[in-house]
Amino acid sequence: MIVCVAVVGHQNNPLYIQSFTEADDALKLHHIVHCSLDVVDERVNNPKKSGPMLNETFLGLLYPIENYKVYGYLTNTKVKFILVTTDLDVKDADVRNFFRRFHTAYVDAVSNPFHVPGKKITSRTFAERVSTIVKSFGFSSAA
Amino acid sequence: MDPAMTPLGKMLLEEITPVVMVISTPAVEETCLKNGLSFLQMLTPFCSFNNIDVPVRTASDQPYRIHKFKLRLFYGSDVKKPNLKVAEQQLKQVITDSGEKVFSEKCLDVPEFNHEVTSSEDRDTPSWFQFFNKELVRMASFSDHEAFDHPVACLLAVSSKDEHPISRFVDLFNTNKLPSLLKDGAMDPKILKHYLLVHDNQDGPVDRASKILTEMRNTFGTSDSLLLSINSSLGVPIKHQDNPWASQIYDASPNQDLGCFLSIDDINEIKDLMQDLSSKHIIPNMEQKIRLLNQQVSATRKGFKNQIKNLWWRKGKEDGVDSLNGPTYNFNSIESQIRVLGDYAFMLRDYELALSNYRLISTDYKIDKAWKRYAGVQEMMGLTYFMLDQSRKEAEYCMENAFNTYLKLGLLGQQNATRCGLWWIEMLKARDLYKEAATVYFRICGEDILHSAVMLEQASYCYLLSKPSMSRKYGFHLVLSGEQYKKCDQIKHAIRTYRSALSVFRGTTWSYINDHVHFHIGQWYAALGMYDVAVKHMTEILACSHQSKTTQELFLSDFLQVVEKTGRTFEVTKLQLPVINISSLKVIFEDHRTFGSSSAANTKEGLWHSLEEDMIPSFPAAKTNWLELQSKLISKKHTLSNVCVAGEAVKVNIEFINPLQITVPVSGVTLICKYSTSSDALASDEKELSVKSNNEVDHFRDMSSYNSSFLVSEVDFSLGGGETTMVQLSVTPKEVGTLEILGVRWKLSGTIVGFHNFELSHPKKNIVKGRRKAKQPPNEKFKFMVIKSIPKIQGSVHSLPGKAYAGDLRRLMLELKNPSEFPVKNLKMKISHPRFLIIGNQENVKLEFPGCLTKKTDSERSSAHTNPNIMSETIFSFPVDTSIQGETPLSWPLWFRAAVPGDISIYMSIYYEIEDISSVIRYRTLRLHYNVQVLPSLDVSFQISPSRLRIQDFLVQLDVVNKTSSESFQVYQLSSIGQHWEISLLQPPDTIFPSQTLMAGQAISCFFTLKNSRRLSTVEYNISTTPVRSDVLLVPQCSQDLVYNSNNVPLVNFHHYERLQQKVLHESAPSRLNCGIWLALIAVSNTFIVLGLKGDELSPIQILRISLFMMDLGDLNTVDFVLISRPLNNSINPGLSDPPHVMSHHACHLSTASTGPISWLVDGPQTLHHDFSTSFCEINLKMHLYNSSGTTAFVHIDTIDFDRGGGHINSVNAVSSATPDNQVGWHDVTPVNELKVTSNTVETQPGKALSLESVSPYIWSGSSSTSIHLEPMSSAEIPLQICVFSPGTYDLSNYFLNWKLPSKGLGNSDETGQHSGKCQGYKYFLTVLQSP
Repeated sequence: MIVCVAVVGHQNNPLYIQSFTEADDALKLHHIVHCSLDVVDERVNNPKKSGPMLNETFLGLLYPIENYKVYGYLTNTKVKFILVTTDLDVKDADVRNFFRRFHTAYVDAVSNPFHVPGKKITSRTFAERVSTIVKSFGFSSAA
Repeated sequence: MDPAMTPLGKMLLEEITPVVMVISTPAVEETCLKNGLSFLQMLTPFCSFNNIDVPVRTASDQPYRIHKFKLRLFYGSDVKKPNLKVAEQQLKQVITDSGEKVFSEKCLDVPEFNHEVTSSEDRDTPSWFQFFNKELVRMASFSDHEAFDHPVACLLAVSSKDEHPISRFVDLFNTNKLPSLLKDGAMDPKILKHYLLVHDNQDGPVDRASKILTEMRNTFGTSDSLLLSINSSLGVPIKHQDNPWASQIYDASPNQDLGCFLSIDDINEIKDLMQDLSSKHIIPNMEQKIRLLNQQVSATRKGFKNQIKNLWWRKGKEDGVDSLNGPTYNFNSIESQIRVLGDYAFMLRDYELALSNYRLISTDYKIDKAWKRYAGVQEMMGLTYFMLDQSRKEAEYCMENAFNTYLKLGLLGQQNATRCGLWWIEMLKARDLYKEAATVYFRICGEDILHSAVMLEQASYCYLLSKPSMSRKYGFHLVLSGEQYKKCDQIKHAIRTYRSALSVFRGTTWSYINDHVHFHIGQWYAALGMYDVAVKHMTEILACSHQSKTTQELFLSDFLQVVEKTGRTFEVTKLQLPVINISSLKVIFEDHRTFGSSSAANTKEGLWHSLEEDMIPSFPAAKTNWLELQSKLISKKHTLSNVCVAGEAVKVNIEFINPLQITVPVSGVTLICKYSTSSDALASDEKELSVKSNNEVDHFRDMSSYNSSFLVSEVDFSLGGGETTMVQLSVTPKEVGTLEILGVRWKLSGTIVGFHNFELSHPKKNIVKGRRKAKQPPNEKFKFMVIKSIPKIQGSVHSLPGKAYAGDLRRLMLELKNPSEFPVKNLKMKISHPRFLIIGNQENVKLEFPGCLTKKTDSERSSAHTNPNIMSETIFSFPVDTSIQGETPLSWPLWFRAAVPGDISIYMSIYYEIEDISSVIRYRTLRLHYNVQVLPSLDVSFQISPSRLRIQDFLVQLDVVNKTSSESFQVYQLSSIGQHWEISLLQPPDTIFPSQTLMAGQAISCFFTLKNSRRLSTVEYNISTTPVRSDVLLVPQCSQDLVYNSNNVPLVNFHHYERLQQKVLHESAPSRLNCGIWLALIAVSNTFIVLGLKGDELSPIQILRISLFMMDLGDLNTVDFVLISRPLNNSINPGLSDPPHVMSHHACHLSTASTGPISWLVDGPQTLHHDFSTSFCEINLKMHLYNSSGTTAFVHIDTIDFDRGGGHINSVNAVSSATPDNQVGWHDVTPVNELKVTSNTVETQPGKALSLESVSPYIWSGSSSTSIHLEPMSSAEIPLQICVFSPGTYDLSNYFLNWKLPSKGLGNSDETGQHSGKCQGYKYFLTVLQSP
């Protein structure tokens, strides 16, 4: 199950964080996402480790913590997408697919002329779309 | 890199060194205590040797030298596993102490996080970590599974005071008292012993001691017996410059003189003693033992045979009991001996030997499943690899292996695991693998919360030190660690970690985390009673709009609690609650401009400016020429600053926003102002201000104290969740001088005072005063020169409705008051929308409304004719004798008419001069602004078509629709404006309006005939024609007295403006050459009238003048109507406070000349009988022509005989094809709208069916083409004749009428709009019947 998804701007400012748990663990997830930025930075600065692929946006598993796995994705505009999941065996292809859809949703959201770049994404449509993507993530991995 | 120089290397060289067990008698201790030291403490400083030179040989006879060496001294009673509980307690104490210490140091300065500084290694890592780690390592000491803690020698000390010293020596090394390690066979009890006799020189001469020494030498051997005499310094205690003990003993108070009785000689003696002990006894002894053991090990384990044997033997043992500890090994078992050999070799730095033995033993232990021993050996292997600086991977692997194995043991291996982990970490750190080190720290965190807190904190520093530094993880681990500290009540540590974490999160937008950190710091400080700091942190989180409502409530209530505990009203410079919208800041002050209402003040200066342009004498008015008196009064400096008048309030509008979802009470909102009496004081004050600015709060406090020279208003309000409130604050200066507005202060929840300084933080201000903005330094905008009080007129318009129905006409009263005793003169007034509001006469006051509108009084008539002059005058000057003073107000009538539906802003400006010329300000303007919402009422439309019965007669169709939702109106009267139109009803009013009312949503139509009564002879249009009946009453019962006179005062004026407006609208699509220019003008004037003034390019006055010019050239063939209606009183919506009385609707420029300037009428019989059997029928017709234009027209009539079976030629085509050939070059393109008028007439509708059925050919039998010249305003008659051949009904529209006006050049061509045209004949049906 996906616990949390986040969009982080190129100045490492949070643009969108949404948790999908019942519990009140917003702070924890914020911390997890915030910490994962360190790993993203590291991956970006040491491209050797992240593989030979040039222009690869998918950063793969950033780090495992306690019960979670954190995945990252970096767009060309240095916007980071973070995915926190409790699933222990996740297929990379699924995550890639998820991020691709998430990216599309994000692009649509920021293409809105009323969106101020660098400000939090408040679009309700975006939120709905993300939650459907998140829901479908569980199904596709089960299938 | 030399591994020995790394922190780990140094640590190992200190920690893994031979242990000397010290056993002393109480008398010895007593002697030493005179110096404030125990015996052990006294010796300890001299146990590390940095500069010795001892030759050693390895087992394989390789010589090498040891330069540095250290002995560890322990009392015999301490040679055991440390008591865990005690140790824990001790550790806790260490943490608490360091917490106190570090806290008090760091309390005030907040660490500034800077990415560049992080490279400096030991920047922030607290020093007590090392001490703590050392203690942790020590907790795992004296374990039986490793040999380096086993004593290599025993130092027995007996005092010379002791009875029977020799037997005491023997007693001391009694097996009963020996540590368990030696007793239970874990180690060899036969160790090197050294006998030391301690003599206190204060007790007497050394004689007795030397006697005992001789005795000792006899008993224990010469080399092992020694004498140490101390306390040789008699009398005065010695102060040692470099106290060697100072660093040893932590809890020593600094003023205590350690070793005060030890003379230099004593110290040297101790030094020599220890050096001898180590270099001459211990090292050789160890060396010897290594050789011995090595031989044994070689004999039993080295070589192929032994290996096979060992393997076999081990395998056999495998079936044995699989206990957790594995089998126990005696000190003389070969395994223990190998281990001892390894450890000894390690201690003597023969790492190769050590490693080989560790390797040998590690497999054995593994096979035996002696996990703890295995782990211990692995650990040592790792360390040995490290010291050898070989194979890093191998070293780390060993450490990890050891660590994991220890962890597997659970509680038993806990301390060892910690120690192993710490060493491992040090190893990683030595290789700059900080990130990995951090993960190890993370793994060390065990059950113990306090330990894990410390470890997490250390981990965080590792993240910071790693390259690239991972600041976010640093922050995260600090937060985790702080949380753990908090759990075990180490609040000071918790605060410290959180504060460090803050440096990471500060300035980021991760507000959840930020809030959490700030909130907890605040809480913890509050728990410590440091409320000031607590408040400081809590204020950071007040504006937490992103948090949930409950969190916001929690934050706020906690904050208020803390503030309450401080017991005073707290003052904060940048309180974030409520948020001040600084961009909304607006300063309203009145210099020569005064405002009637706040909405007037909020109107753009430019709008007022263009309105007042003609009224204000000259710009800039404040700057008078050098001859005049007041120029001397104003110094140059002051011309830059704003002017305000004593006794008149300066208002500041500012917006307060509540970002929270909960209600926040705000009280005591006031401005902070500064007043100084003269201009010189101002300059010095500014300096003072800059000095004080770093102590803002105090400064503000001074300022806010009561000051007699100005008054400030105070506002209280409560802000609901998410609300925004605009607050108007005011300051009223009382004396002449300089006033400066510094900021605003408010009280939150009655306890905390917030300040907001206008200047320092936000240099850009939105201030009303526009024109000098660029030049002014920011401070100047809030600085006012207060001048002495001058008159200020207050004015208002009474009974101006907020809502009105379109067409509503009423009289209003403008009331002006001058409360001051100074007189004013030269009053003028101007109104922005004369279409809505016009200025009446003084006489109008007395008139009764709406009765004055009727034709009753004759006096009105004359005034109607004088008024047009006033109309064109846009500035109204009050009569010279008008004076306003004291309590009696001046009332002046205004006429209001709601011209069009919509929201209308009406601006009025009243100018007056002050008679007292010594004042800086000589004139002032009063600006009034009113908003009127005009609702749609009646929708009136007219249609005019030429009558077919009489030439010059027109049929007018009036359509009235009631557009309101609930109102009923009575359509009262229709008047045509202009002297030459006569109007009359077609039917009596009863038949049209049986009910006399027009209900909501209803529509009516009625028809009138309109007759042009202009005489043919008058080419110039003459006003003084005989009066014609231009008013039609639509209500039957009323007498003629109640006819409203549309030439009466307000109506005619309004009509004038209405004409102006509708003319402009009519011209929207002009067909003239210069239409581009017209369009531009119209666009400008439209915006002026509808939207308000815009731009300075063309003043509205100019536009009006242009429009007036256009009006004078008005078409002669247009008619204006005024429809007057009245609401029915009983049906008026009570929501409208003031019901309308009379409503007028104006329709202007309705063109009668739909077919051009020429009108015609075909006159002839409608029906006739003829006997077709005899002959065809000839019928004579007459065509009447009339030229309504001002010039002679050329008219040409073409009759067409052939039948256009497919229908008529489209009239559009006909005309457009006619025009292009007659003009070349620049010519007017015949506009389309002209043609539309033609096609509107019913006659030209092509009746296809009709023509097929009934039109049988007829022939125009007269001339097929007739041309005549038609004089202006004259008529002519043309005979026409047709022939018909059979009975039927004929449509006689088969002719064209071409007309042409002579072109008089471009200038005059505008006059009529068109100068040639082609019209098709209209339908005229003639029925011919066969006569019986």
